Amino acid sequence: MKLSIAIPTGALLPGALKLLSTAGLMRLSAPELGRKLMVERSGVRVILVRPLDVPAYVDHGAADLGIVGKDVLWESDGGHYELVDLRFGACRLVLAVPDASRLNGPETWPPLMRIATKYPRTTSRWFDARGQAVEVVRLHGSVELAPQVGLVDGIVDLTASGRTLQENRLRVAGVLGDSTARLVANQASLKTRTEAVQALVGRLREAVTSAG
Amino acid sequence: MRAAQESLLAEMRRWGYRHVITPMVENTEVLELGLGAEQRRRLFKFSDTGGEVVALVGERTVPVARLVAGKLRSVPLPLRLCYAGPVLSADARRFHQRRETYQVGAELVGARGATADAEVIALAARCLEAAGLHQYQVDVGHAEFFQGIMDAVKLPDSVKAGVRTALAARDFVALEQLLVQTSLRSAEHDLLLRFPALRGGMEILDAAAGLVRNRRSEWALTELRRVHELLEVHGLGHVVRLDLGAIRDFDYYTGIIFEGYGPEVGRPVAQGGRYDGLLARFGRPAAATGFVVQLDLVWEMLKSGPRPPSLPRLDAAIAWTESGFETALQLGSTLRLFGMRAVVDTQSRDQADGLAWSRAIGAVNLLHCTGKSEVMWTAQRKRPRRLSPDDVAAQLAGGR
Repeated sequence: MKLSIAIPTGALLPGALKLLSTAGLMRLSAPELGRKLMVERSGVRVILVRPLDVPAYVDHGAADLGIVGKDVLWESDGGHYELVDLRFGACRLVLAVPDASRLNGPETWPPLMRIATKYPRTTSRWFDARGQAVEVVRLHGSVELAPQVGLVDGIVDLTASGRTLQENRLRVAGVLGDSTARLVANQASLKTRTEAVQALVGRLREAVTSAG
Repeated sequence: MRAAQESLLAEMRRWGYRHVITPMVENTEVLELGLGAEQRRRLFKFSDTGGEVVALVGERTVPVARLVAGKLRSVPLPLRLCYAGPVLSADARRFHQRRETYQVGAELVGARGATADAEVIALAARCLEAAGLHQYQVDVGHAEFFQGIMDAVKLPDSVKAGVRTALAARDFVALEQLLVQTSLRSAEHDLLLRFPALRGGMEILDAAAGLVRNRRSEWALTELRRVHELLEVHGLGHVVRLDLGAIRDFDYYTGIIFEGYGPEVGRPVAQGGRYDGLLARFGRPAAATGFVVQLDLVWEMLKSGPRPPSLPRLDAAIAWTESGFETALQLGSTLRLFGMRAVVDTQSRDQADGLAWSRAIGAVNLLHCTGKSEVMWTAQRKRPRRLSPDDVAAQLAGGR
């Protein structure tokens, strides 16, 4: 029976394609997949979807497996199984404030923090756990701009190298979590097509280990 | 969907389960006796004019438990009960973006042991068949297998709490990280890491028995073996898989747990298990096991199946002209007496207009009444025939 795997567009795509090729599943170029969105070879179907949509495809069983950043999983919940740390696409979810800001550790936080982010759930959970009142402003892009125009005290955003933060005169004042790409599986696929799914998971896991 | 619900309930009745009706609105204090923190958070709550906080039920096992301990307290156990109805969640994520969904369930209260567990699992399987699902599988696991491992594994309490959280979230990456940090190694460690893969037939019981060294897990394996044997006797050996890594609400379930999966749907269509602790909270301690079927998922599967169910057709559309009006009303009554579905028009029409109308409402036959003793009968793809009302009724009833 055919197995399908959802992989995300964007930053994780090259890593995901490399993984598929290392695992000996298929060699695909990003442009080819980008053009077709769906490629089928030797019993495996690869579907290209937006990063935020991977959990939806997997939870609803439209894909048996999915490759997705941990940062996306923080914001979604569903019945999927998170099986393997794929070790690529490392980045960090941080609290960043303007260079000139006096804010730093929790002792310097105002009674109510205003934070702009694309990660509202993770943000409010993190501040809640620290007993800090927070007003989360949900933005969909260019989060770095928000503190500069006085919209918020700080931002919670992903950073890999820290360059974007520097360029926007922001510095890190806290770390919410570390993210890498993960392999997730649909609950029912794991139960009803155990052998095939486990075999595929095994090959991907091996590819990760062999890549070091 | 109604039809699917009816066939589920009919199967439950065939097994001697009595249909009970539990309220949609319950006092929150009552519900909270039986629900975990997460389930309580998801209740739709509001207050009545007396200022009492009430909630719309999010599941019906707790209301049934209340019924058993309350109104039915003088009825001797074991009790076999079934129910159907909507359940609501204030958190739209629970039912996949739906706030309301329909569940049909059965509970066997007051019976412990593998025989009762097997009965309920067999009933769940037969219910899915009765609803029209022919491709399905039932995964059977045991809550105590995991609890035993957690007792036996040598880990600090903080790490154990982390393990539970990670497993509840099905996050095996976090689980691995937690377990790798600890220096201790044991068979139980490896079992936890292989949790999602602990599935199969009877052979995995032997494999697992060689790995666990604690009473609770060993007892769980013995019970699973017995239930599997009984299900084979029930004639269901081929649909049953054992799943030692089944992850469910571990605080609620106390024994055998199971889930039913159908084709092409990424979620379990039925789920249940043993919950021997619940009834005591309502003052009538009793062993209990049961399950619910997610009716909307059953319906989804049937619709996408090889033979999607169609809406029942109307047997007859009865049109009339002034002089045939009374005949039309009488003919309608006669056909209904024979159990047919018949609609009598609300305005007079000529034959051509009547044909268009009968197609529009999806009727198999058009009966056009033009006088006391004359009916023009047009069946699908057939030429119209002129008959007396009695002959039409007789032929239609006989042709069924």
